Amino acid sequence: MTMKFKSLYNSERFLKIIFGLSLFIVLVMGGLAYRYIKELSDSFDEVQEAYQLHIELEKLLSALKDAESGKRGYIISKDSTFLEPLWVSGSELDLSLQRLKALTQGNPDQEEKIADLEIKIDNSLRIFEKTLQLAQKNEIESAEFISAFKEGRQNMNSVRFKVLEITTHESDLLGTKKERSSKSLSNAPMVVYYVLIFSLLILLLIYLQISKNLKILKEKNELLETFKESTTQSEIISKHGNWIWNIDDNTFEYSDNLYRLLGEEPQSFEPTLENFIAFTHPEDLDKLTEQVNKMMENEDLPFIHYRIIQKSGSIKHFKAYGKVLIDSDGHKKLLGTTADITDEIENYRLIEERNLELERNNKELASFNYVASHDLQEPLRKIQTFISRLEDKEQENLTDNGKLYIKRIKSSSARMRSLIDDLLQFSRTNKSEEAFEDSNINILLETAKHDLVEIISDTRARISSDSIPSMKVIPFQIKQLFSNLISNSLKYRRENVAPVISIRYSETHASEVPNLKYSKHSRYHTITIKDNGIGFDQEYAEQIFTLFSRLHNKNEYSGTGIGLSICKKIVENHNGYITAEGYPNQGSTFIVYLPITS
Amino acid sequence: MRENYTYVVLADDDEDDRLFFTEAFDELKMKTKVDIYKDGVDLMNALNQSESTLPNILFLDLNMPMKSGLECLTEIKSNPRFKDIAIAIYSTSASEEDIEDTFVSGANIYIKKPNDFKVLKKILSDVVTMNWQYHTSGLNKDNFLLRL
Repeated sequence: MTMKFKSLYNSERFLKIIFGLSLFIVLVMGGLAYRYIKELSDSFDEVQEAYQLHIELEKLLSALKDAESGKRGYIISKDSTFLEPLWVSGSELDLSLQRLKALTQGNPDQEEKIADLEIKIDNSLRIFEKTLQLAQKNEIESAEFISAFKEGRQNMNSVRFKVLEITTHESDLLGTKKERSSKSLSNAPMVVYYVLIFSLLILLLIYLQISKNLKILKEKNELLETFKESTTQSEIISKHGNWIWNIDDNTFEYSDNLYRLLGEEPQSFEPTLENFIAFTHPEDLDKLTEQVNKMMENEDLPFIHYRIIQKSGSIKHFKAYGKVLIDSDGHKKLLGTTADITDEIENYRLIEERNLELERNNKELASFNYVASHDLQEPLRKIQTFISRLEDKEQENLTDNGKLYIKRIKSSSARMRSLIDDLLQFSRTNKSEEAFEDSNINILLETAKHDLVEIISDTRARISSDSIPSMKVIPFQIKQLFSNLISNSLKYRRENVAPVISIRYSETHASEVPNLKYSKHSRYHTITIKDNGIGFDQEYAEQIFTLFSRLHNKNEYSGTGIGLSICKKIVENHNGYITAEGYPNQGSTFIVYLPITS
Repeated sequence: MRENYTYVVLADDDEDDRLFFTEAFDELKMKTKVDIYKDGVDLMNALNQSESTLPNILFLDLNMPMKSGLECLTEIKSNPRFKDIAIAIYSTSASEEDIEDTFVSGANIYIKKPNDFKVLKKILSDVVTMNWQYHTSGLNKDNFLLRL
């Protein structure tokens, strides 16, 4: 949930929404502020109007007063200069009334009152006229004058009253208006302030977001810069160059290292197809041109291989590959990589040569095997057969010396036979994955014992063994291993001591055996073959497994020095390890470790 | 049996082996007739003669010039006329490969040439007196190689 929100918060869309929303709010609040200010200025106008009305009414009143006092002055002094304000005020009164009418326009109440006032003023002026005429005729004492005079005073009072009424009404109006607008107007400064604060907040938020985005952009830019640099380095180290074919305008861009691969200074010539193809080996030119044409047609470049010749004359093998990329603006580009694989090809050639040599050697070895197995055995077999003929048929014709010589020839040829047999066995002990099969080791051990049954009974040996679990092995080799180890124990028995051989099984962790510490298998089957024979000095524990190595004179013991080498080879074929412990005149122990697979 | 003797034929290019073979039969004094051919070509020529008497047991050396024992074996097994001949491979080597090949091609027994004349006599007498029908019916890769 928060993750979702966070990603929303970071998105460009969120920014747009916030921006739109805030724009709307600022507009709304701006509208409100405009309305408040408009209202304020309207009420100001109203106050102004009321004030104007007041002044006009005062002016009207004072004009009337001036006319009245002028008339009184004239009646007392008969000086006509006193009448001057009267003429002036007449026109002034008209003007004032006009203005009052204009000011009260739209307010029927006041209009009516002004109309009333106008009648009263007209009445006043008519009374002035009348009293003035009477005064000019010197009829001041007449009852007509006195009643007119009184009427004038009465009329004046009603004018004053009317003016008072209008002013009161106007201030009443102003009062209610003020009360109405003051409520909303008092909010106006707050609204403007809030709009300001809100706008600032939005501005801040947007600023923060933009600066954050800028930072991310900068980081990404730096990453891109680093990546570019490492690409340049990897181009140099792995001997490849990049190029871009801008398909829309058919132009090329070559990376610096592509020039270096051609043996040229970076960007030392125009990156055009023609300039590049000019380096191609003449024999590969047709092939490359065809590939390039195909590339132009299909806008794709599968793996191609060709040679170029640098200006220095050295020939290089190139491999190229390209793929179309459409950028965000919709421009199609073919991004290509060209690698110098000269070293690879040379190494491959070297390996191939060595493989051929190995094959030759193997063939020689195989034919040597054949020679050993067949051609060497044949004459030996005949020698032995002829000896047996001599012994059978010519025994009585031989002197004692002759019989001795025959005996010596016989034992030598027997020894030669066992040497050849063992050597053959050794060379045939090879590893082949197909030969591995799940085997019952106990049966293999029994078979090995069966092959040795004569010598076992002759020496009256006792052999005991644990039950050994099944393993995936090369069966005949494991049988050979048991056979060789048992016959080794029987061969090197102590004189006049019946051999006792015990074969034990256990499981061992690789870490417990120093030589297996770094092996890829963690657990090992451990088969221990212990005897009570002549043993050997521990310092020869390694040596006994090497080919033809013997610890004893061949006249004492009949070994060929190959049997244990075969054991070692068999165990190694099974990814195992064999070791020996010797105790002179007590016996020896052979330990075979075979990995527990699966 | 057409006669009251066993007709034995050996094809071997080695002069000494041919000598041991005939001497062994001479000393065995069994009712046998022994014919010897010095290579595969001679053997096949003789067998392919329509009026020829066919051997009861044919001893075949493997390593012979011009026509090897294995080639002779294949030829014999492809001709129904020779279906009653018991074929004993008689070779110096006893490599797994040779044993496998000859077993698959239909030989009846594989004999490794011994290095003792007495042993040779014992082998030959055993093979001649062998009950071939019984041996062939229970033949497998393990009892194919003659063990003493």
